[in-house]
Amino acid sequence: MVRSRVAALLAVPALAFALVPLVALAVRAPWSHAGSELSRAGARTALAVSLEVSVGATILAVVLAAPVAWALARIEFPGRALVRAIVLLPMVLPPVVAGVALLAGLGRFGVVGRVLSHLGVTLPFTPAGAAVAAAFVSGPFAVLTFEAGFRSIDERLVEAARTLGASRWRTLRTVTVPLLRPQLLAGLVLTWARALGEFGATITFAGNLKGSTQTLPLAVFQALQTDPGGAILVSLVMLGLSVLVLAGLGGRLLER
Amino acid sequence: MAAASVLAASCSGGGGASSQRVTVFAAASLTDAFGAIAAPFERAHPNVRVRFSYGPSDGLAQQIRSGAPADVFAPAGEAWMDVVAKDPGVVDRADFARNHLVIVIPSTNPGHIRSLHDLARPGVKLVLAAPGVPAGDYARRILRKAGIAHAALANVVSNEVDVRGVLAKLDSGDGDAGIVYTTDAQAAGTGILTVPIPSRLNVLATYPIAVVRGSPAASLARAFVLTLRAAGFLPA
Repeated sequence: MVRSRVAALLAVPALAFALVPLVALAVRAPWSHAGSELSRAGARTALAVSLEVSVGATILAVVLAAPVAWALARIEFPGRALVRAIVLLPMVLPPVVAGVALLAGLGRFGVVGRVLSHLGVTLPFTPAGAAVAAAFVSGPFAVLTFEAGFRSIDERLVEAARTLGASRWRTLRTVTVPLLRPQLLAGLVLTWARALGEFGATITFAGNLKGSTQTLPLAVFQALQTDPGGAILVSLVMLGLSVLVLAGLGGRLLER
Repeated sequence: MAAASVLAASCSGGGGASSQRVTVFAAASLTDAFGAIAAPFERAHPNVRVRFSYGPSDGLAQQIRSGAPADVFAPAGEAWMDVVAKDPGVVDRADFARNHLVIVIPSTNPGHIRSLHDLARPGVKLVLAAPGVPAGDYARRILRKAGIAHAALANVVSNEVDVRGVLAKLDSGDGDAGIVYTTDAQAAGTGILTVPIPSRLNVLATYPIAVVRGSPAASLARAFVLTLRAAGFLPA
């Protein structure tokens, strides 16, 4: 009894801080003509672009993050702290700075982008570019959670499996991955959620075009300039999506 | 005449001993012009500091309607001044500047743009300000007047929130062409070149300015407006 009261006391300020603005969104939303407002703001198209871009970004981020996270967690090598600092850097960078840096690096006349465009690959103004921007910014979340996961593996369990005659592959499949599952999924969810919300790097690097690079946050920002009601409704669509994923998947996982 | 009224206004406004502030909400395309005018204004009004919030006209108008503390509003077109004039209202409204539009290209000219009609060539990466942003609306009007709206708008690769966004995409060389105000093109660095728009197809953008009703620094705000009008800022 007392405990739950203490818990409530401790939780209420943060709950209120998070909830008041979000509930206010729902209160201020023009529900009576929600349908027409949403379609005017291009919500459906932006939702499709957002899903495509955020999933692409998550895949890219995870593919890049998993090996480096493994190295950071399991291998002692000189300069490890520096490597960690560098791969986590995008997390503390203002997203607009990330966008400018991406243009300088991967833009049409960028240091590496120049080579890419000779190969016929242009990233700015494409959904792929938006995914790259989101992966750049959200990747550190995958590195952080994966590294913590790889560190937490109980080596004795892996050794036991090997001693009992399991092959390397079978050990990985039946022992290591199941042990890691909560961390891997938490990493996926955090990375995806950050990619979904990405705004600054995306608009700076990939631009803002409906049906191509205009994700939900960009649609919110554009709607805000002409049609605040539409902006609120699109924000609610984003919010709903995030809550669904965080509560459904992430919440339970982070509890462990 | 204008100078006299500036003086009069400054006497009535700048009398306070403690430092006062005038907050000016101005279109992104006015960044350089207003920045240049702030220093002489502050010299003429000791104890007064001018704060600028530059951004897209439409966004600024929405902020003012939501109660943002703006003393002076200077959007890049009449439409957004009309919006603010309705709520919360403005006083001393006047047009203080005119501007034309111009095509901007990266100095390397990757899209081989030589005239307005090149913007309609398939494959050109055209960057415009978004519809609803004055510069974006003007650009679209020019494309319609030239009869190339359909093809050119199909070339749009990004709708930027303001003209500075357009310039950034061209400065990096990632866009092939954009349409911005002449003043922005002049203020842009060496990485940007311009291609003129024939005057019969160009549009004249007027810049209104006004004191926002309810401004706590109304008399200073009025002095700032008069300084601007007296400066006769009239871009090419």
